[in-house]
Amino acid sequence: MSTQVAARRRGSGTRRRGLSLAPVAWIAIALYAAFLLYPIVQSVIQSFTDRNPLKPESSFVGFANYIELFQDPRLARSLGFTLVVVVFVTVVANTLGLMFAMLLNRSTVNYRVMRTLIFIPQVLSGVIVAFIWRSILTQNGLLNVTLQNLGLTDTAISWIGTPELATLSICVVVSWITIAFSTVVYTASLQSVPAELYEAAKVDGAGVFGRFRNVTFPMIAPGMTISVTLSLITTLKLYDVIAVLTGGGPANSTKSVAYYLIDVAFTNNRFGYSSAIAIFLLGLTALVAYTTTGLLRRREAHL
Amino acid sequence: MKRNRVFAAVAVGAISLLGVTACSTSAPKDDKALTFMVFETPALDATFWDASIDNALEGLSGVTVEKIVSPDADRNAYAKQLQASGQFPDILSSINPKDFLDAGLLEPFDQSWLKENFLQPEANNIDGETYIPPTNAQVIPLVFYNKQIFADNNIDVPTTWAEFADVISKLKAAGVTPLELAGAEAWAASMPLVGLASADVLGQDPEWIQKRYDGDVHFTDPLFADAMQKAADLVDAGAYDSAALSVDYATANQNFLDGKSGMYPMGSWFTGSSYLTPEQAANIGAFPWPTDDGTVVIPFNIGGTTSVASQSKDVGNASEFAQNWSLDPRNLSVLIETDGAYPMMKNLTLDDFDVEVSDLYTETYGLVTDENTKVSAFGWINNDDALAPGLNDLFYAMSQSLFSNSDVEAQLAQLDADWDAAVGQ
Repeated sequence: MSTQVAARRRGSGTRRRGLSLAPVAWIAIALYAAFLLYPIVQSVIQSFTDRNPLKPESSFVGFANYIELFQDPRLARSLGFTLVVVVFVTVVANTLGLMFAMLLNRSTVNYRVMRTLIFIPQVLSGVIVAFIWRSILTQNGLLNVTLQNLGLTDTAISWIGTPELATLSICVVVSWITIAFSTVVYTASLQSVPAELYEAAKVDGAGVFGRFRNVTFPMIAPGMTISVTLSLITTLKLYDVIAVLTGGGPANSTKSVAYYLIDVAFTNNRFGYSSAIAIFLLGLTALVAYTTTGLLRRREAHL
Repeated sequence: MKRNRVFAAVAVGAISLLGVTACSTSAPKDDKALTFMVFETPALDATFWDASIDNALEGLSGVTVEKIVSPDADRNAYAKQLQASGQFPDILSSINPKDFLDAGLLEPFDQSWLKENFLQPEANNIDGETYIPPTNAQVIPLVFYNKQIFADNNIDVPTTWAEFADVISKLKAAGVTPLELAGAEAWAASMPLVGLASADVLGQDPEWIQKRYDGDVHFTDPLFADAMQKAADLVDAGAYDSAALSVDYATANQNFLDGKSGMYPMGSWFTGSSYLTPEQAANIGAFPWPTDDGTVVIPFNIGGTTSVASQSKDVGNASEFAQNWSLDPRNLSVLIETDGAYPMMKNLTLDDFDVEVSDLYTETYGLVTDENTKVSAFGWINNDDALAPGLNDLFYAMSQSLFSNSDVEAQLAQLDADWDAAVGQ
């Protein structure tokens, strides 16, 4: 009898707690629907039209925009550039982020200060970061002046003036921002690894590399899933750093897909086609994120 | 529990309404106020625009104007974003009208008002109508040169292409970068291409752009291709610094003023006081972009100020405000002094503006007022000769791609394809 009452009370309490959260959940769902789902649905609808941002009326064009998308050499070039940046940034930011996290995984004040310093690029807006790096990478910028003063080069190097170096510059700048985030994620992961595991590994005779391979690397798997996936997603939709650092140049060689679709929408007046590109980018991002998460989660499951 | 449901329903309703409101046209704070899209630069700062709005409102009782500032120099793109979100301004400053005409978004100015007030009232005509008052002119580009460097190396001002090429060789031999180029910014990097397309192509065939619209000529035709080959030849000849495409506009200006380069193709706005002190201007000369036979061809752009939205809530007052703004000498005097604008007003001489300008400005202003061959500054014009949507940027970008891709013909073939796509051919 008392058990049933207690169970009823627990059930009632659970229901009451659930209901008390309901308004907040509904607000979140409504916000999500209004500011994310609605624009996405609108974009999908527009992607099947020849919508021009300057005209109120538009016509249904079926899959014409999606067919064009796969035949557009400029989009292919943007996609190629974007994928280069995505791969570079994801590999470099996660490798160096993990390395910094391991080097700074101490709880003294000095290490905390250093971790804070490393996190600063993540706090700054991409626009500000790009302005700072632009002043470093231009003809008379800090990097060229330093190299010339050290006698390492006679003439200024065109860091943002050739397609190859401009691409490399963007990769480095975006990695610089992303390393900050990766370092924080890996630091949090490392701090959750029980010290006893390292002690046990030491007793078993594992060296530094052995402890990393057998203890650290497996135990930070969840953190790696988060860091790698978010690095991929944020880099796939890269826009602000490019807009300031190179303006998509030289000769459109550093136009990301996100940059290109804005060009198509507001320079060429082709909202419908740019919506198709946006949906394509959304699908690509979802596919990459889903695949990566799946692969990394599988690794977590093997722990 | 009931209270929670009511609260949830109210919250959802409010948020949904907020969402719908966010996706619909947002009204300005004052429903009756006209909106004016402006852009800010170091020379044309917020103080200038605020004062100019007050000036233009004199005599317009009961009218207020709210300023909308474009986030960057691309006013056309921002105006399109505003239109896409149902917020197209009532008045717009310095846009390229052609982009907006298919959609019928702009109101033409009265022809008699144009004839009464401007030296070239039809200069900005598109299909016989004017949507931006032809208040001031620019030459895009002139070739500015350092007088001291020329004197030190016994170099005369070139008048033909062969002489120009010779000057480049002499400067290079003297260890001076022959041509300054703000290559990091495509619009600035394009100055040599704009000069060549204007002087060589439009100088010989002023109707070339109209013929391109009709499909009668192509970028790959010898006339245009030969001109672009000259641009590629300049790169091959080492006319620019090896890191030219890493040089931004401000750095290029400074490099040239510091004597690090001998010549600088740039728009005539460079004669303004926001770029040059009087002392610096005294050491700088300018000559028109040279042609093969020495014919003087001036790549000319009649600039403008205010355009009026045809869907404005008050087209009459918007037009009157735009006309007041365009005719006010206090507004144009700032453009003359800081931005080197050449006034094209019928009823006002330079003296009427009470401005201080350099000798460089006065000498180059002569190119505008003299009898000579004036052609549209290719890719910069506001009239029938404006390029198809998006082509300006692609043409500008070609100036950068010549540094790494010497296949001029392939790039021009792509430009032809882009043109055809832009005009729906």
